[in-house]
Amino acid sequence: MVKIFVFATILVGFLGILLKKNLFMKVIAMDVMSTGVIAYYVLVASRVGWFTPIVGTPPKGDYADPVPQAVILTAIVIGFSIQALMLVGVMKLSRENPTLEIHAIEQNHQP
Amino acid sequence: MNGNLLDLLTLLAIALPLFAGFTIYLWPRGDRYLALGTGLGSVGYALQLLWSNSPRELQLLDSFGVTLLTDALSGFFILTNALVTLAVLFYCWNSNKSAFFYTQLVILHGCVNGAFVCADLMSLYVALEVVSIATFLLITYPRSDRSLWIGLRYLFVSNTAMLFYLIGAALVYQANSSFAFTSLSGAPPEAIALIFMGLLTKGGIFVSGLWLPLTHSESEAPVSALLSGAVIKVGIFPLARFALLVSEVDPLVRWFGVATALLGVGYAVFEKDAKRMLAFHTVSQLGFVLAAPEVGGFYALTHGLVKAALFLIAGVLPSRNFKDLQQQPLHFPIWIALAIASFSISGFPLLSGFGAKVLTMKNLLPWQVIGMNIAALGTAISFAKFIFLPSGSAPAQTVKPGFWSAIALLLGGLLIANGIYYEAYTWGNTIKPLATIALGWLLYYVIFRRLAIKLPRVIETFEHLIGLMSLTLVALFWMVLT
Repeated sequence: MVKIFVFATILVGFLGILLKKNLFMKVIAMDVMSTGVIAYYVLVASRVGWFTPIVGTPPKGDYADPVPQAVILTAIVIGFSIQALMLVGVMKLSRENPTLEIHAIEQNHQP
Repeated sequence: MNGNLLDLLTLLAIALPLFAGFTIYLWPRGDRYLALGTGLGSVGYALQLLWSNSPRELQLLDSFGVTLLTDALSGFFILTNALVTLAVLFYCWNSNKSAFFYTQLVILHGCVNGAFVCADLMSLYVALEVVSIATFLLITYPRSDRSLWIGLRYLFVSNTAMLFYLIGAALVYQANSSFAFTSLSGAPPEAIALIFMGLLTKGGIFVSGLWLPLTHSESEAPVSALLSGAVIKVGIFPLARFALLVSEVDPLVRWFGVATALLGVGYAVFEKDAKRMLAFHTVSQLGFVLAAPEVGGFYALTHGLVKAALFLIAGVLPSRNFKDLQQQPLHFPIWIALAIASFSISGFPLLSGFGAKVLTMKNLLPWQVIGMNIAALGTAISFAKFIFLPSGSAPAQTVKPGFWSAIALLLGGLLIANGIYYEAYTWGNTIKPLATIALGWLLYYVIFRRLAIKLPRVIETFEHLIGLMSLTLVALFWMVLT
């Protein structure tokens, strides 16, 4: 069930990248998509259990797989830095193209 | 050398450039010297890898940690990266680029090296993403609006592709509890399709890679040279590695090799703009690397050297349009450099492009041969455009002082790399490329010189690029299933 929601999030994000006309909205849609991907990693980690894997505490039950969680932490950091970089780029572009319509921008920069 | 020392060298080859990059930013005066030291260090490391020629696997931390794999294939790719970076550095030596430029250059160099030695999906992901960021900053270095748009477009496409790649990596982990490249063999087909989609897009292969021509042709000359010569190969290398490690995906990689070689060359023969022609030709040459993955390293080396040289030369040509170039004669030394590079890429004997082409053609499967020969013919046709440019008594052009040292390094590398596969020089091997070139020139002179077909660029608009990605994904899924 959760899996369906996760994939729906990814799909909605992708469709947003594809269909939104505004560059800013596209960047936000990409963030939605990456949220979906991150959620999927959390889901993969919880296949075998729910509890936080911490060394030293007495085991309460089946604990979650720590590897996907550790790995996705890196991806979150990279994802948000790219997001930030892109938003700065979009801000700079918006001085010349205040509407940020992607067709207008592409038209302006056709060689 | 003993094993521990070699492992230490591998770690240093990745870590030192990153360290040097940050140092440059803190100590701007030493920028070029630190960059030079990093480049030379990489050359030394790559030569050592090629010399020892024994694969080494390095497992950091535990079984869930980072896996590195070094062998001759990584050696070739790292050497390409090092030589291209050095050439770009020489080219920029006397220009007043700020320390920020060199910081990005050196960090990019380190991450590209990292991508060439890692053997698990997650370290590859990290390397590829940092490569994207550094490339974006290099493309947007002029701060013009157009460069910003080109950079954003690049970052957007590559980040979307990497999101698909991440889903694929999660599926691989779910199936095998490991991120190592070798665990692809037991992975579900959708995982392979997603990972391939990410890498094909990142590497500019076939239709999902059509972001490449605009990005590479609209950047500044040194950045184009770096992107086309070295950086684009971070998407190609893992594909070649997969094909060698996991035999199930080998046919898939080879198929994409042939398809992209034909697609790229198909665009290149009709292109009227010098830099765009070079960029499309990069697409086609990447296909040659993938068509025979076991010898792809040597091909990647010769392509990297020649393409970097051609992009640097294209930067000093008086115009980008072939029609204008045919009107005004080139300064003779520049024409010579251009002709040497064009001869090498067409596969003319005495230059290492010849050896690389012969080696690749020898390692093709029977069904690939026709396609790759057509692609080789197309290469000869498209580079006839450069070779037949008029040269002569043009007034001496003023070029940057670093230009000739960069070109000397790249073209010298082409001559020396001949020695890697000197067995190629037999009569039978020599006649075929010569015949191909002669036929290519004839076709150029009779047909293509007069053609004025302008291929539509609509497919290169941003939304079509993203749309093509989803189509590629569906196609890949069917190909993996069958």
